[in-house]
Amino acid sequence: MKEELVEYTRKIIDKAVSEGFSEVAVLLLNEKRSMVKIANSEPSVVQHWSTISVGLYLVKDKRIIVARVEPSSIEQIDKPVKELLKIASRVEESPLYAPLPKPEKEPKPLEGLVDEGVVRAIENPVDLAERVVEVAHREKVDRVAGTIDLAYITRVLATTAIGNVLVEDSTRLQAYLRAFAGEDGSGQWALGSTRLDTRRLEEMASIAARYAVESRNRVEIEPGVYDIVLSPMVFGNLLNYVANMASAFMMFMGMSFFVNYKPGASIASTKFTLLDDPLNKELPRATGFDDEGVSTRTKPIIEDGVFKTILHNSKTASKMNTETTGNAGWIMPTPWNLVVRAGDYKLDELIGEVKKGILVTNNWYTRLQNYVEGQFSTITRDALFLIEDGRITKPINKLRIADKLPRILSNIDGLGRDLYDIQWWEVRIPTRLPYVLVRQVHTSKHTV
Amino acid sequence: MGLEDLVLYAVDHALSIGADYAEARYHKNTSTELMLRNGMVLGGGYGVVEGIGVRVLVNGALGFASTNKLTRESIREVVEKAVEYARAHSKLMKKPIEFAEARMGRARYSVVEAKKFDSMSLDEKIRLLKDLWNSVSKTPKEVKLAVLVTTYSEMVEEKIVANSDGAFIESRVPRIRLMYNMVLAHPQKGTLQRMHVLGASGGLEWLDKWKLTDRLVGEAEVYEKVLLTAKEPPREPVDVIVGSEVVGLIVHESCGHPSEADRILGREAAQAGMSFIKPGMIGYRIGNENATVIDDPTIPGSYGYYLYDDEGVPARPRYLYREGVVYEHLHNRWTAKIFGVESNASARSMDYRSEPIIRMANTYLKPGNYSFDELLEDVKKGVYIKSYMEWNIDDTRWSQRYVGLEAYLIENGELKGYVRNPVLEITTKAFYSNIDAVGKELRFYAGLCGKGEPAQGVPVWFGGPDVRLRNIRLGVMA
Repeated sequence: MKEELVEYTRKIIDKAVSEGFSEVAVLLLNEKRSMVKIANSEPSVVQHWSTISVGLYLVKDKRIIVARVEPSSIEQIDKPVKELLKIASRVEESPLYAPLPKPEKEPKPLEGLVDEGVVRAIENPVDLAERVVEVAHREKVDRVAGTIDLAYITRVLATTAIGNVLVEDSTRLQAYLRAFAGEDGSGQWALGSTRLDTRRLEEMASIAARYAVESRNRVEIEPGVYDIVLSPMVFGNLLNYVANMASAFMMFMGMSFFVNYKPGASIASTKFTLLDDPLNKELPRATGFDDEGVSTRTKPIIEDGVFKTILHNSKTASKMNTETTGNAGWIMPTPWNLVVRAGDYKLDELIGEVKKGILVTNNWYTRLQNYVEGQFSTITRDALFLIEDGRITKPINKLRIADKLPRILSNIDGLGRDLYDIQWWEVRIPTRLPYVLVRQVHTSKHTV
Repeated sequence: MGLEDLVLYAVDHALSIGADYAEARYHKNTSTELMLRNGMVLGGGYGVVEGIGVRVLVNGALGFASTNKLTRESIREVVEKAVEYARAHSKLMKKPIEFAEARMGRARYSVVEAKKFDSMSLDEKIRLLKDLWNSVSKTPKEVKLAVLVTTYSEMVEEKIVANSDGAFIESRVPRIRLMYNMVLAHPQKGTLQRMHVLGASGGLEWLDKWKLTDRLVGEAEVYEKVLLTAKEPPREPVDVIVGSEVVGLIVHESCGHPSEADRILGREAAQAGMSFIKPGMIGYRIGNENATVIDDPTIPGSYGYYLYDDEGVPARPRYLYREGVVYEHLHNRWTAKIFGVESNASARSMDYRSEPIIRMANTYLKPGNYSFDELLEDVKKGVYIKSYMEWNIDDTRWSQRYVGLEAYLIENGELKGYVRNPVLEITTKAFYSNIDAVGKELRFYAGLCGKGEPAQGVPVWFGGPDVRLRNIRLGVMA
């Protein structure tokens, strides 16, 4: 099968070149995937996908065309390529254009990204669903909902600038569970990994269930400025925004507060380090090469509070007179996996640092009023606890965090020592991170 | 084998290997895109997503599988996979899934573009977008238009839906969309950002209707003044005129979403969340007599247009809130069975890879009789919020927040300058209970509504008239 995919990719390159494109990249994804969706503690649907999709990057006279098609045979690529040639002859030279890179050292696909456990579970995901439901119900929860999503992906890349066709196999598990207890208790947790480790799935179910039980009988508090301990679910969500904004393309498009800073500027607490880590083999987007065929590398986006790296592909790098960081995206550079450097605190100790504050375990709907200023709000969901004199005293009702992303980063005052691998709806980029204490966070709530 | 034959074969084969119900959908989404930044073409995009999705019911359990290999052999494999998965988890079903009886459609329909996409050359379209930059960039006088990104898309959605209960629907809906992101910058006053989407079903006739240059030049003029002159909103409770753009989003978020019956039953609990509406709440008073919200897939030209849903059920307007009470939910055939009603054709899927789930189409607040001047005239002190950027709502759709962008102070019935980022943070019941007067002009706005896992984004319109709320305390941004 793999040889067929390589051959197929080569043929697409040849076809596009013969049609008159001067530079071509083809990224083929062959995906076998299954997912169990759980609601009310039973599967609501089991889904399966078997898909080959082809991404095309085509250049003619410095005009850039990007396409995604799903041809069922090589012949079917004809029409899109001809269609794209029509577009290419009309659009003008792109200000982003740079030649596809020809790396001195050809990149190597990462080995060891495939877990046979995931491959087997794709054929029978229901047993895993049954297991997490059972584990969650060991606590006094009423019902759970969630998803177990398993995939085996072959990624094939060929470009007119590199000799070999690059092939990388990986597996991925993304799971999350939300538990409900009583009138108002709920908790949610997530896991993203290249590997299937049933114990970690069970841990995910247990955390969600415990938070659900502990957050029953909530009381209202007034919004204001609080010291807040953010769980990895919440901090992961905010860091997904931050890391995406570190993409040069987002800066170029007016979608990033990083336009206000240059690398080398202090933008966060000195306690905070955020890495883009494509070489971490346990995180689902691990890869040895980016979409332009450049070797990936691990690099700090923020290190000890200092803005270190703008994420580039060859085009944005050329425009900003620098080197690619191996984060292509043909148009938009993107982070691969995020890793936050652990701190020294146990969760209890982090909470112990708070005189009056809140532990927020989950959130969603983060939206920005202004990307250039990083002004946002997000609404909490699930378990939320009041902290008084260093101890959790009671579960509380939802409120919003309404603040600025740069201020959140600057006000980090402590990080947990235990790291969690999070990926779900609101944390799309796999993120390994701890609980974090942020001082003086603004919150808000409905006024009527 | 032709596409129609493949779809029918999928249904027949599923039944022959033990499915109690089978549904197959050929679904093709084609898109062409142009992206410009500050008048320069960054590049073009093209996409085709085409395949067949098969959904089956076996022993009360649902299975779904899809493929983009359009051969009989491949279709046979996915049908068998869907049946196998459904059968495997049927043992865990505490309550078997059943579908309500429904009138099944057998029809072909298509939206006709008054001006076809190819009636204008690519050169002309690019020129139009470049001219837009030329006009808009010259508009602000004291501030700089730092960024104007325009993304123009033409999309065509084609479907053939068949099921074992007799439905057969073939459809073609073309759509057009323009998204823009405008950043205005001033050295002392900072920045202001406006992102907006225009979208509709049909063709290039919408470019004329949208009057792009007038619209964006007008916005740039206004937003320059907002950035330079806007003051903090009043701290005391005031009357608020909520502009139709904001009303549209509010009814989508706080009426449409909580009225989705699958959400009410907990099927989306881990993703898009639950609903404050619980089973048995039909008739619950959520607001006053001005609160009537309708979702109607059949509005001609609408972004969320369809005549039959993906379960083959004929579409009709749905009255979700009627004169202040919860009146009807959005149903597919599964939820209709549980609630003891008929499906009102809310099952939609984004593409062939997606299972049909309950979605809105075009949701709006029913207009009233007031002109804008009449809404204004007896406001002693208030704020008019015309547009927004930031918003969010909790996962039961109760507590929501909208931050105004173009917003005005009202004094003694007149607009008196701009207000910076007024925050309307309100519960669903408070919003619908405080509507004191409703404008007569209905306007619609386009969006891509997200739901499901894997997430599905489907085109929708949301809209309404301007409305007036009395005695609301607005917030300010931190």
